[in-house]
Amino acid sequence: MFTYTFQWRQAWQKIPLLLDGALVTLEIALLSMAMGVAFAVILAVARNSKSRWIYAPATVWVEVARNTPALFQIYMAHFGLGSFGIHLSPYIALLAGITFNNAGYLAETFRGALRAIPGTQLRAARSLGMPQTQAFRLVIMPQMFRIAFLPTTNQMVWAILMTSLGVTVGMNTDLAGVTQDINVRSFRTFEIFALAAVIYYLIAKAVTLGARLLARRMFRY
Amino acid sequence: MKKTALLGGLLAATCLAGTAQADKLDDIMASGTLRCAVVLDFPPMGSRDADNNPIGFDVDYCNDLAAALGVEAEIVETPFPDRIPALVSGRVDVGVASTSDTLERAKTAGFTIPYFAFTNVVLTREDAGVEGFDDLKGKTVGSVGGTYEGIQLEDNIKAWGDGDFRPYQSQADVFLALSQGQIDGTVVTSTVASSIVQSGKYDGLVIKGDAPYLPDYVALIALRQEYGLLNYLDLFINQQVRTGRYQELFDKWVGGEAPDLTVNKAYR
Repeated sequence: MFTYTFQWRQAWQKIPLLLDGALVTLEIALLSMAMGVAFAVILAVARNSKSRWIYAPATVWVEVARNTPALFQIYMAHFGLGSFGIHLSPYIALLAGITFNNAGYLAETFRGALRAIPGTQLRAARSLGMPQTQAFRLVIMPQMFRIAFLPTTNQMVWAILMTSLGVTVGMNTDLAGVTQDINVRSFRTFEIFALAAVIYYLIAKAVTLGARLLARRMFRY
Repeated sequence: MKKTALLGGLLAATCLAGTAQADKLDDIMASGTLRCAVVLDFPPMGSRDADNNPIGFDVDYCNDLAAALGVEAEIVETPFPDRIPALVSGRVDVGVASTSDTLERAKTAGFTIPYFAFTNVVLTREDAGVEGFDDLKGKTVGSVGGTYEGIQLEDNIKAWGDGDFRPYQSQADVFLALSQGQIDGTVVTSTVASSIVQSGKYDGLVIKGDAPYLPDYVALIALRQEYGLLNYLDLFINQQVRTGRYQELFDKWVGGEAPDLTVNKAYR
């Protein structure tokens, strides 16, 4: 039997604190995505390289990022590097962990997108006199981003939700950290967690809808 | 005819009343098991021995309580932040988990009289340059989020407006962060501090004086509305002190004079 009386008024007063936390969450997610996309492009290209010295490290990154828990990656960024004397603050460790994860997943997304672009396009661009890098930048990359755009927004949502793992490395300013702080002070677990869940849901939903609208404007033929 | 109706009515009334009034204390006695939430990374109150069995002051306390109730004890490992969810969701009956009896929390959970009291000390690293509590100002410090000393230390940092506070999820993470140099100090209960320094698990950890906090009285917790159980627990704690069992357990796990559980010039 559930014997608990919900005290929403008490929880409602904490909304400003939670919204401050939500901003930090969004900030980390956006930064981790921006850096993740940059690394992912490099990784995707490196994965297509014929040189073993370029291919191998990129493959290790992608494999570890995709096949180990994000919790492990973030924990390692804080305590793992810490044991070697490299001290990342919880904020940086969380950002680094999620960026690492984003880059790994997005690299595969981008690699798939690259494969979907017919090889004849690059050859056509080259035959028009474009150097290799210019052809890649002006002909291939825009198409790659277009194909990978919606899968990338999935990763953005995932990044937002992953920020909640920061509490394991002592993060106390993001939405999950603020939630946990209020929880342990007041013991109003259910109300606070419910509010936090709603905020997470709204942020994630806003991102998906925003991305869909953006895609409709940007990718109209 | 009249008599049977009356008898039947009485019988029905008794049955109904019986079920309606069964409270948590009844449920525990009927089920034959007392489920205690105990924090098991908080030596010497709760930890695991080499064979992974729960041991510690709180474990023994739960066993004593179960024996008094005439039921079996079941230790449910519960991290600090999960004590209330465990209680409310019915996974445990009682929290024997060194829970500080703050007024804020008492709005949610039911607290007994104190069953233990902690003093807090500053734990730091030899090379961190911290000689006492005041030196923590401006440093990066950490503690287990949501503990009595963790909340106070966080408030200290906010009040100083200088330095950084990191709440970790477990005591083990705090010690790891401290030994790695991620944080320069923590405030922790004296019992935990001396047990971790003695264990030698982490190099270079030293205790540097007391933290100027009021004694941290900790209580057993149960659901707020379970007066039957809470009354029983109050009496049980009183009996533990009265019979000398409290001092006996303190000798076993900590050593020395057990802390006074009464507050001068106040009832309860």
